[in-house]
Amino acid sequence: MSYADQTRSAYGNVIDRIPESIRVYLPIVPVMVLVGVFILYPIAQAVYSSFFSKSLLSPDEGEFVGLANYQEIWTNPDLHQVLWNTFVWVSVGSIAAIGFGFVLGWLLYEKFPYTSVASAIVLIPWVLPRVVGASIWQFMFGGDQGIINELLVQLGIVDDYIVMLGSGELSLWPPIIGMIWRLAPLFALLTLTSLQGIDEHLYEAARMDGATPWERFRYITLPMMRYNLAIGFLLMLIYNIRNFSMVWVMTEGGPGVSSSTLPVMIYRTAFVDFNVGLASALSVLLFVVLLVFSYYYIKVYDKLQGEF
Amino acid sequence: MATTTDPDTGPSTDADANAGDPTAEFRKNQSWLFDTTAGTYLRKIVVGFVSTVSLLYLLFPLYWMVVTALKSTQEIQQIPPTVFPENPSLEGFRLVIESSLETGGYAGVVENVFGVTISSAINVDVIGIILNSLKVSIGAGVIAVVLGTIASYVLSRREFRGKNALMSVLLASLMFPGTAIMVPEWELINTLDLYDTHLSLILIYGAMTSPFVVWLMKGFFDEFPDSIIEASRIDQCSSVETFWYVIVPMARNSLIASFIFAFLLAWNELVFALTLLDNQNYTVPPGLLTFVQGFNTQWNVVAAASIIVSLPVLLGLAYIQRYFVQGLTGGAIKG
Repeated sequence: MSYADQTRSAYGNVIDRIPESIRVYLPIVPVMVLVGVFILYPIAQAVYSSFFSKSLLSPDEGEFVGLANYQEIWTNPDLHQVLWNTFVWVSVGSIAAIGFGFVLGWLLYEKFPYTSVASAIVLIPWVLPRVVGASIWQFMFGGDQGIINELLVQLGIVDDYIVMLGSGELSLWPPIIGMIWRLAPLFALLTLTSLQGIDEHLYEAARMDGATPWERFRYITLPMMRYNLAIGFLLMLIYNIRNFSMVWVMTEGGPGVSSSTLPVMIYRTAFVDFNVGLASALSVLLFVVLLVFSYYYIKVYDKLQGEF
Repeated sequence: MATTTDPDTGPSTDADANAGDPTAEFRKNQSWLFDTTAGTYLRKIVVGFVSTVSLLYLLFPLYWMVVTALKSTQEIQQIPPTVFPENPSLEGFRLVIESSLETGGYAGVVENVFGVTISSAINVDVIGIILNSLKVSIGAGVIAVVLGTIASYVLSRREFRGKNALMSVLLASLMFPGTAIMVPEWELINTLDLYDTHLSLILIYGAMTSPFVVWLMKGFFDEFPDSIIEASRIDQCSSVETFWYVIVPMARNSLIASFIFAFLLAWNELVFALTLLDNQNYTVPPGLLTFVQGFNTQWNVVAAASIIVSLPVLLGLAYIQRYFVQGLTGGAIKG
């Protein structure tokens, strides 16, 4: 027995007497309990509640209704509208945020001086409190004094100020524009970081071999960035489909359900209409989608870890 | 056949510049867009246009918030709106502070000390919601950093059964919080009898951010040299002592970054704060929302309040920017 072992056993405390195979789990227990109780358990609870008809005002008096809540999703035209809105929101919002974010990231890498200061400024829309960002856009799109109406008039696109946030046809779009503004900086930073990670010598070599700029982009930049871009793409999808604040602050999902997305509808169903059962069924729908996204996120993540 | 044609009289200016360079011919970009003067101009115009539009889209809303906060109440109502404030005033900020002093119950004190009578039509206690948010954010930050760091140390340095599954569960749990679980979370908090308490938010935000911290700190511990731990073991430190006296001090920067991440999430989170609290206990996001919805004719006041509550975020950003990408993607992307 070495000297160190002797002294350690002399000081040996209760923790050190627990068998190694169990002791190794102890430090992880608190985090897992916290995450288990406040994040994983509620998911199970939502699945359970989705089979009941219950009111938020008396949540203990639920009545088992089987799949009736899911049937409601299947038949209710308002909810169809919401699902379609969510699809438009996620596809348009993600693609635009990626395109705009990529351009911004490239500008940061290639054209702007003081990259770290510039990228901090670019990040501001992403880190501002959600409600602050959304209320700026609400003000800018507002009907009476909105600067965007003035801009459209000056550009000759419309003749007179129009109602945007309160109009059934237009109200879906202003929150999407606000959301692109919030998410693009995030994608820009991911782009910048992965561009910085590419070895300059690769470009040099390709230039020597006579590769055109397009070929250099297509055969060096894109392949080198593919997992980073995939992670960024999945993050955009996840943040877009989860978003609540941008819509709620700007339009509250209205008028009617014209600008409601799934999260806003869950909130309205549960906390305005008090229908916990239906809201839970909608939540389960949202989980399933998020679960698919997360599955791919983790898969891409593992690939990326393998490269380093 | 003794012709003396100069090989360098092509139209490309690029080739002239590289006349002495034997690889010049290979370095040409081989496309009209890059090798002709017209192409170069076109490229510059397109890049300039795209940059300008992108920057306007990105920065104009921020400029507009600042400018709106500096306008007087009359100027706010002008149509068309003024792009540059004609009479900059701090009226918005003054109204925010007055209303929060009055709502917070300090109007009498101010009148006695400064001899100024406050009567405000706006009754949102901005200072009060900031104090509530500070309490919640610091609480959540401490919980996340302490629990997350302890767990990440073991996850980084030991191998055991189920480790990869655990890490995946933690990563996936980052994706769900917020809107997807607001209804069951409300039920849970009511069952635990924690409705309308800040403790409920501290625990939930702690749970939401500790997986973040686990991933961020695991990245740090993965790179931590074994020799330092060996040395402390030879000096007869127990594993707990090694962790506390040797590793934690060296991890200071990463720990501060983790704390700021957790703090910012708690500072910005709307959904749980809106559904799990009553008005008088509101934190910044739902408090600001009532402000926006209640006073959206007084946009200078709203903008001033927005700037005040955004300040901690901007200070935090300055510090964590370096860690930002790692934190966001759990360390997946390194520059």
